Amino acid sequence: MANIGRRGFVKGATLGVLAFTVGGVEVIMAPGEARARNVPFRLLDAHQAETLESLGETLVPQAREAGIAHYIDQQLSVPPHEALLQARIFNVRPPFADFYRTAIISVDESSRRMFGRDFAQLSATDQREFVGRMRQNKIEGWTGRPGAAVYGVLRADAVDVVYGTMEGYEALGIPYMAHIPPEKRW
Amino acid sequence: MAYEKVDVVIVGAGASGSVYASVLAKAGKKVLLLDSGPDWELSDLISSEIWGRRVKPAGAPILLEGKNPMAYAAQGGWGVGGAALHYFANFPRLLPTDFRMKSEHGRGHDWPISYQDVAPFYDKVAREIGVSGDAKAEEKWRPAGEAYPMPPMKTFRNGDIWMKGFEASGIPMVPAPVGMNSVEFKGRPACLYDGWCHVGCPIGALANPQVTYLGEARKAGAEVRAWSTVTRVLTNQAGTRVTGVEYYDDKHQKQTQEASVVVLAAWSAQNPRLLLNSATDKHPKGLGNASGLVGHFMMSHHVANTWAMFDEDVQNHKGTVAVQYMSYERYPKKSHDGVFGSSFITAGFAVKTADLANSRADLYGPELADYMKRAARNLAGIKAFGEEQPNMENRVELASEKDAFGMPLGRLTHSFDSDAVALWNANLEEGLRIAKASGAKEAWSARGTMPTSHLLGGTIMGTSATNSVVDSYGQSHEIPNLWVAGPGIFPTEGASNPTFTIFALSQRGAERMASQWGTLTN
Repeated sequence: MANIGRRGFVKGATLGVLAFTVGGVEVIMAPGEARARNVPFRLLDAHQAETLESLGETLVPQAREAGIAHYIDQQLSVPPHEALLQARIFNVRPPFADFYRTAIISVDESSRRMFGRDFAQLSATDQREFVGRMRQNKIEGWTGRPGAAVYGVLRADAVDVVYGTMEGYEALGIPYMAHIPPEKRW
Repeated sequence: MAYEKVDVVIVGAGASGSVYASVLAKAGKKVLLLDSGPDWELSDLISSEIWGRRVKPAGAPILLEGKNPMAYAAQGGWGVGGAALHYFANFPRLLPTDFRMKSEHGRGHDWPISYQDVAPFYDKVAREIGVSGDAKAEEKWRPAGEAYPMPPMKTFRNGDIWMKGFEASGIPMVPAPVGMNSVEFKGRPACLYDGWCHVGCPIGALANPQVTYLGEARKAGAEVRAWSTVTRVLTNQAGTRVTGVEYYDDKHQKQTQEASVVVLAAWSAQNPRLLLNSATDKHPKGLGNASGLVGHFMMSHHVANTWAMFDEDVQNHKGTVAVQYMSYERYPKKSHDGVFGSSFITAGFAVKTADLANSRADLYGPELADYMKRAARNLAGIKAFGEEQPNMENRVELASEKDAFGMPLGRLTHSFDSDAVALWNANLEEGLRIAKASGAKEAWSARGTMPTSHLLGGTIMGTSATNSVVDSYGQSHEIPNLWVAGPGIFPTEGASNPTFTIFALSQRGAERMASQWGTLTN
């Protein structure tokens, strides 16, 4: 064990950040940076990405800017056993893309029934009311995975991108104290 | 590619498999561990809750059903080290009453052995891999044994702040025994109290298999073959002996590995799945399943979480995810009026941002953002683990759906009975009283989904093939060179975190196997 250091251990890991594709080239960056640079999505279409950003922002303020849609998109593009999504811990069965695709459909169908518009087009107040009802499985005519499960998975994703990073800890004033820090503060 | 026959093939390189590998390799046996996931190294254990999910279950899913589906993916492991790569390393032991449930309480099963049979192995494991704690302090509740090799871990305000409330409630708390280093131990460093244990400790302060049994097994010549998914245990034509296993390698090619002895150590759900999927004309219900009990009596612990906000900064980022304090005061089976079952009470643990958010899963939007700021300073929790009685209906069986290798998926059905629900409620109510007496500004119970923790049973031990699957060592009643290891062989679960007992039973079983080797191979 003599070669095992203490805090600040020289990392052997090479998997500290996410790989995004820019101009056909893989670039390593945090999801927030990918969003800021307008990196194209691999799997999500524009509407799906917009819906995930709106849901994420309603659940956890700053999730949009932190790149929740880019995070989910990138994670859906890797093999399930490499995915870091909370869906894995919530016993969602791969492929995880099915969960997100059907969740977005369920949300929009219910949103149109309740408010006459897709979720992303609702006011912040209506989005908030919708999410509150979804959390309690209190949306009439809801189809697909229970609303509470959608709430739980997406909230966890939003918590990840806003609070699960080194920046997130810093914003809350919590010392991160990594043994092996994730690269580029992710 | 044909592999050379080995003495022992062990399916699963987690807590129990690594003990068998270490003991048997040191005894001169040719040992092979097959694991379905990657071969993790310490340098893979990034300090991040997000990256830490890489060591959680992947591969073929277990289908989860029942009123209280098991939190399988949160609890299980993936790859070499298994769940013990990310476990919390709480090391309470079972108590004598847990071994005599039927005769003392008319519930569940008696174990075919007593506490006294296991006690020397608790002490041996503690000496081998290192345990920090105060054995003397625990002995107000349990028979005396050896002192732990290391003094207790440090405590922090997030644990200390609860002591007033426990004292007022008449619950003595003592230092919790943990499989972590309070001081340097056998060349492994002392803990830094950074709270990243649950994503894997890369410095070797926590006794995960990589730095303990597995490391020793490898040194003694054991081979670990990662990305090897076992689908069947093979038998001779007469069905009297196992001859090896069938598995799929990292290139998804089918392989056969011959062995003199097979040890199934793939956790409580996968072991029954393998036994059931290994049915032959001589064993039409599955291997070792003349009793029809393979897959039955699955058990989990329920957890009563009480959270509280205090006026002061409790420094909840400091410590380990294991607990600082523990008590067996509510362990007697009738501690709560009108409720049956043991409870194991704990206090003081580090939390990360996901824990802060999960402590109020109902909050979202600006209320969550505001809560996170307050919780980062003022939140602390206590937990009471509760016992569930073995129930025949809680079971693993084969589903009609198949995995990528054509093996039927496992279906795990689990529901808590009314005793368990009543005990959980009693523990939550007591938790609120303790929080109030501790001076908490706000306190609440984590209600909603009843949490499951740990997974036991499915291949229980007993006195014969009429009432169990294996004997007290884990040896099949029906096929002498087929063994099962891990929490699946527990016939009752008590309320204690199981891994210390898993290590102890595995050490006992492996030593037995080594000493009886001639009878297994002839």
